[in-house]
Amino acid sequence: MTRTPKRPETRGLRSQWRRAWSTRQAGDALLSAPMRSELQDRYGSLSHLRRVGSRPPLREYATELWDRRHFIWAGARGEALTKYSNERLGMGWFILRPILDAAFYWVIFGLLLRLGETSSNYVAFILVGVFMFQLTSHAITGGATLIRSSKPMIRAFAFPRAALAASLVLRELFVAFPAMGVMFIALMAIPPHELPTASWSFFPVLLALHTAMNLGFALLFGWLGSLLPDLAQAMSFATRFLMYGSAVIFPIERFIEHPTALAIIEANPIYLVLDMYRTALIDGGAPPASQWLSLLLWTAGLLTVGFALFWRDEERYGRE
Amino acid sequence: MGASNPVDAWHLSDDPKVTIAAENIRLRYTVQRSERRSPLRRSSRSSVTGPVLRGVSLAAREGEMVGLVGLNGSGKSSLLRVLAGLQPATSGTVVASAQPQLLGVSAALVPDLSGEDNIWLGTLAMGMSPDDAYFAKERIEQLAGLGDAIRQPMRTYSSGMGARLRFAISVAADPEILMIDEALATGDASFGERSKEAMHDLITRAGTVFLVSHAAKTIEEMCTRALWLDRGLLVADGPAEEVAALYRYYAHSLAQNKTDAAAGAIARAQDSFPPIALGAEEQ
Repeated sequence: MTRTPKRPETRGLRSQWRRAWSTRQAGDALLSAPMRSELQDRYGSLSHLRRVGSRPPLREYATELWDRRHFIWAGARGEALTKYSNERLGMGWFILRPILDAAFYWVIFGLLLRLGETSSNYVAFILVGVFMFQLTSHAITGGATLIRSSKPMIRAFAFPRAALAASLVLRELFVAFPAMGVMFIALMAIPPHELPTASWSFFPVLLALHTAMNLGFALLFGWLGSLLPDLAQAMSFATRFLMYGSAVIFPIERFIEHPTALAIIEANPIYLVLDMYRTALIDGGAPPASQWLSLLLWTAGLLTVGFALFWRDEERYGRE
Repeated sequence: MGASNPVDAWHLSDDPKVTIAAENIRLRYTVQRSERRSPLRRSSRSSVTGPVLRGVSLAAREGEMVGLVGLNGSGKSSLLRVLAGLQPATSGTVVASAQPQLLGVSAALVPDLSGEDNIWLGTLAMGMSPDDAYFAKERIEQLAGLGDAIRQPMRTYSSGMGARLRFAISVAADPEILMIDEALATGDASFGERSKEAMHDLITRAGTVFLVSHAAKTIEEMCTRALWLDRGLLVADGPAEEVAALYRYYAHSLAQNKTDAAAGAIARAQDSFPPIALGAEEQ
């Protein structure tokens, strides 16, 4: 297979589509002999025909997806900006909601239960857990209903459907940026104050890996959700289960003694990434190399499996 | 997979090329029965199946404007969905020279976004670069002709306004094969004129347009060729004016309970304009 030359944008959509189309399964051989000869007699060569509804090969799919990067960006931006458009306070909720969340945990665990001043800053533990877990839980619940909620777009336009998953993850990231700002301010403001250290510089790297992992989750659950529409009903349970299984609001080591159960939880990628965030932001240390390695493996694995499965069923998503 | 046709070999020649061909398409629907639906006992009795398309073969070439007529439930929309590749047929083959663009009756694209943002999103979704999309935007706004409403969220649009916007976006993409399923029926007269122009423009540039409409008059006026579907079978395939006229006579007779006259109209259409029925014969 030869590498396709760089796409001449000036030649318009038609030639671009035609080039993409030419990678699909050849179609004239699929017609029966009498039909083929009849058509050839009437209209000449049929070699330009391709089978309709076939998915492109994986590599071409990736190229087409890359061509839709502006679409992914615009979709994520547009939907993030209109998330609170029905609310009276509008964009204010981007800041207000995380502030309310943070205040809630501070009042309950910091003021009432007085867990903040224990040796491991418990309020900070919860804040990092809850705020960063939201990214993954939204990717999973959004993924489960991804195909269903994007039906009008899918029906109207032909584009690699994986773009929808990418758009979803990016949108959640946009929405989470103000929340992360609130989280950092809360970490510094709520006693015992966690002040920025050099280890905070691990945060962007962690966030990038975390986002890639979320894309893997969104693709995987997008595929699962289209296969099994009932999944959407189970999602609230699944995220609750993940929340307790990933030590989002309480440190799991204190309650679980069984070594196997503990090992399973510690291998869980969401626990892993939350633990690394906490090491970097609260303990002021560098996450150990073994954790980086497992996170990298999880991210690569989820992305590969999610993308391959999602691509495999590409033809099915348009179905009623 | 070897791409055997170089991009440049494609041109509008004197003998128009075939853009889409379908052979012996069959489609059955399967619906889960609503009563006693237990996932553990999904026996064959708990679902109902029935034929929608019963062996349809057709071919269209560039520069053609094909109208589909037929009663409700005759399979017109299903045929378009299969031709566009959105619904896999139970059996049969569809091949085309490009990805068909189907314009159906559907809800707003992204309801919370404004018409403008939906144009932007739609053009990018089809693969335009931001530069192209920027220039296309003005054309689309003009064709849609929604005025200031273009800046309001799409969920506030009437069905006619939504259809206009989606039509304008689809046409701006310059698809080779455009399929329109009743989407223009909701537009008003001024839009009808403009959409007609846009479609003629499309087919002069080697495109093919499929049009489903219950109003046989629309087909007569706009199309060059008409297909008549009856209960999942292609009855007639011929010049739009004559086929549509026969269909109108048929529908009119049915409405007045003149079944003999209706059967006569079908038989006449079948005799005068037999569809190409290669694969479908005796199968």
